[in-house]
Amino acid sequence: MNEQTISSEDYAIFSEFFYRKTGISFETTKRYFVDKRLLERMNATEHKTFRSYFTMMRFEVSGEELQHLTNIMTVNETYFIREEYQFECLVSSILPEITEKKKDHKPVRIWVMPSSSGEEPYSIAMYLIEKWTGISKWDVEIIASDIDTSVLRKARAGLYGARTLQYVPAAWLKKYFCKVGEDFQISDDLRSAVEYTRVNLAEPADTRSYRNFDVIFCRNLLIYFDDMSRKRAGETFYDALVPGGFICLGHSESMSRVSSLYTARRFPEAIVYQRALETQ
Amino acid sequence: MPFVNHSDSAAASGEERKRTRDYASLVDQLSDPNPTSRRWAARDLAQCPEGALELVARLKNETDLSVREVIFSTLTTLKNREAIEGLIDCLRSEDAALRNETIEAMQQCPEEVGQFIQLLFTDADPDVRIFAVNILESLCHGEVESWLIGVISTDQNLNVCATAVGVLTEIGTAASCEPLMAVSRRFANEPFLTFAVELALKRICEQKSNE
Repeated sequence: MNEQTISSEDYAIFSEFFYRKTGISFETTKRYFVDKRLLERMNATEHKTFRSYFTMMRFEVSGEELQHLTNIMTVNETYFIREEYQFECLVSSILPEITEKKKDHKPVRIWVMPSSSGEEPYSIAMYLIEKWTGISKWDVEIIASDIDTSVLRKARAGLYGARTLQYVPAAWLKKYFCKVGEDFQISDDLRSAVEYTRVNLAEPADTRSYRNFDVIFCRNLLIYFDDMSRKRAGETFYDALVPGGFICLGHSESMSRVSSLYTARRFPEAIVYQRALETQ
Repeated sequence: MPFVNHSDSAAASGEERKRTRDYASLVDQLSDPNPTSRRWAARDLAQCPEGALELVARLKNETDLSVREVIFSTLTTLKNREAIEGLIDCLRSEDAALRNETIEAMQQCPEEVGQFIQLLFTDADPDVRIFAVNILESLCHGEVESWLIGVISTDQNLNVCATAVGVLTEIGTAASCEPLMAVSRRFANEPFLTFAVELALKRICEQKSNE
């Protein structure tokens, strides 16, 4: 039996296909990472050649294998102050633009979906307090949602291990957390600053009352969706945002490949997507 | 703290539903002047299989992109006979954007669209047959290669065959080799097709030798 290998041509074919499907682009520097995972899935599905595996994966009606591959091609972890450049973008570029145009002085509304176990919404809350000068003038409403009720329980409890807090500045740790055994409990003030709700993004009945948000954080979720689900999520967020509202995605995600209803905005800190004011 | 928490407020505090959601009302709201109302009507019609024809009719006149996107999503959710036939009808539109959106939508329904592929390849309009090949390019269906072999074996139109050869270059297996050579002979005076077939055969042979 030939030793299984991924040729340069196979790699190019796969990278192009995977980009088309997920928007995730692998440079040649990722060759080892990609090859290793492709060979892993070829073994798991008992395909001896890339060609036969690729054909199966590409034309499988259920899309199950593509989903497997997508899952192992992405790193799924969460922690406080993850992808900090987007929080910088929020306080330095997005919120100043929103508040300049906001006429009603209603609270700035932020939706974090998925919330996971709370690291992201709490990071946003801390960032706003510590780094956004507008916090003294504007009320903020943070709603964080997830489909998984167990992570919502964990988020509301606000108890975290040291590993997930490694990027939290020492002064913030002291100010917003207290030690509980080996773990750290986030302050009651911050816990009450975030409202947690259970939402299935794919269920219109769950999302139809989510409206009038100025900013949505949806990071590292769409990469796990198939094309149709991703498109529907884009439509759901469109209705959840105010015209001109912003959506922040994960670093490997792009709304441009999901929907034509958003404009990519290139701020000094990050690229985010903005709901169009008019779509005629 | 400057944070507002409306716990128990159903989180969203967006707005209440203001309109009835029965079928007749939803169809009526598809023509509402407000695109948000049209979007929500189109989305909620996913619960009404009989709504496909109304959605397709709206699609042909809808100028708001956000509403168009939701109509396509609902049609691909319904994916019943009326929805697929309506999408096929959109392939004949003069609106290139609508045609491209239709191709993408049809690729999302492999099983349902698969049942119409043979019919599409007998269409008198070669443009429709080319669009059918375009659909196959990303259709997750086990018959894709055999359908394309059928196209290059029987279709009399050069452009339709060339489009099919292009897709076979990417996904063809040994089963495509003889039909590819045959289509090259059939259009022997067309250097572009000869070149495209040679490229396809080369790619397939390279893959075979790697196996």
